Amino acid sequence: MTALVLGATDPKVHLTSQTRIIAAVLALAFMALVLELIRRDKLQERFSVVWFVAGLGMLVGAAFPGLLTLVADAMGVRDTNVALFSIVLLFLLGLALNFSVTMSRQAAQITRLAQERALEKAREQASSGENGRKAEGQRLES
Amino acid sequence: MRTLVFIPAWNEESPIAEVIAGVRESLPEADLLVIDDGSTDLTAERARKAGAVVASLPFNQGLGAALQTGYLHALREGYEACAHLDADGQHPPAEVARLLEEIYANRADLVIGSRYRDPGKAESDDYKPTLSRRIGTGVFRFFLTLATRQRFTDTTSGMRAANRRVMALFSEHYSPDFAEIESLQLAVREELRVEELPVRMLERAGGTSFLTPVRSAFFIFKGLIVLMVGQFRPRHVEAER
Repeated sequence: MTALVLGATDPKVHLTSQTRIIAAVLALAFMALVLELIRRDKLQERFSVVWFVAGLGMLVGAAFPGLLTLVADAMGVRDTNVALFSIVLLFLLGLALNFSVTMSRQAAQITRLAQERALEKAREQASSGENGRKAEGQRLES
Repeated sequence: MRTLVFIPAWNEESPIAEVIAGVRESLPEADLLVIDDGSTDLTAERARKAGAVVASLPFNQGLGAALQTGYLHALREGYEACAHLDADGQHPPAEVARLLEEIYANRADLVIGSRYRDPGKAESDDYKPTLSRRIGTGVFRFFLTLATRQRFTDTTSGMRAANRRVMALFSEHYSPDFAEIESLQLAVREELRVEELPVRMLERAGGTSFLTPVRSAFFIFKGLIVLMVGQFRPRHVEAER
């Protein structure tokens, strides 16, 4: 009970400088990884923007921990960690949904592509069949 | 009237030739297209040998995508009417001709062949469904009727005839994996005239039904979600109507 009260009255949990350094290094490594993936054509630029923004966000958060406290206050959350996790979770949720939308669009495109190809082949078969029949008819006539 | 009959087929090598011959006999004027949905057996070869034009999808895309291929072809090649039937030999081609009569007479935009003669009953003279299928039929019938405010008995029938209005709609909007039911809902929502005609159906000549109890339950669940979402889809009723 006392712990709860103490937790409630103790206003903010500050990041230690050690965690801040680790976070900054991770953010930089992450952005380097994204860059490397683009360089090797494993990731298209248009999909990389959001990851760069995420990396920058991590870096900014590590550099100015006061910002996180501001955000937590704005959200009405006492614990900055809770604010941090909620934001990251929401971000990932949105991103996953965005990927599902992209996948659905691509599935529809693949289906249409398959249909177009199938019909093209069918038209080829139909026209060659007609020519074949005509040729046969001519042979019979002559 | 220029008519296209198309048959979606996925690994139906044994019944396909006979079905094609039946269509040729009952509908000699119609052009025939077999849509081979990525079959791994001899479906495409046998269909071609039987004299049908074959559109082979490069990989299995599901019944909806296969049917849509047929509607797309019919629309682009300027057919005035089209019809489709299953490749497994359940659908007598003579009955498809009856569906097409409704389209020729302009009594409906989309005609569904229903295996149930008496709309109140879940069985017909030639058809004895399993329990899970009966439940599924009942559930879909109830909810589709609720959603469309129109009476449907055979919601998953794969025997249909349609005119150009339907071709235009289905070639653009056709759910790839829940084709039969959603397409009916969509057609009614787009204010098309959808009609059900009782037809005679046969026992399957080949292949087995994909339904097991667990799959049925999942199928029903998915169907209900699809129907519910479908009620909130935007309408694109043609301006002319």
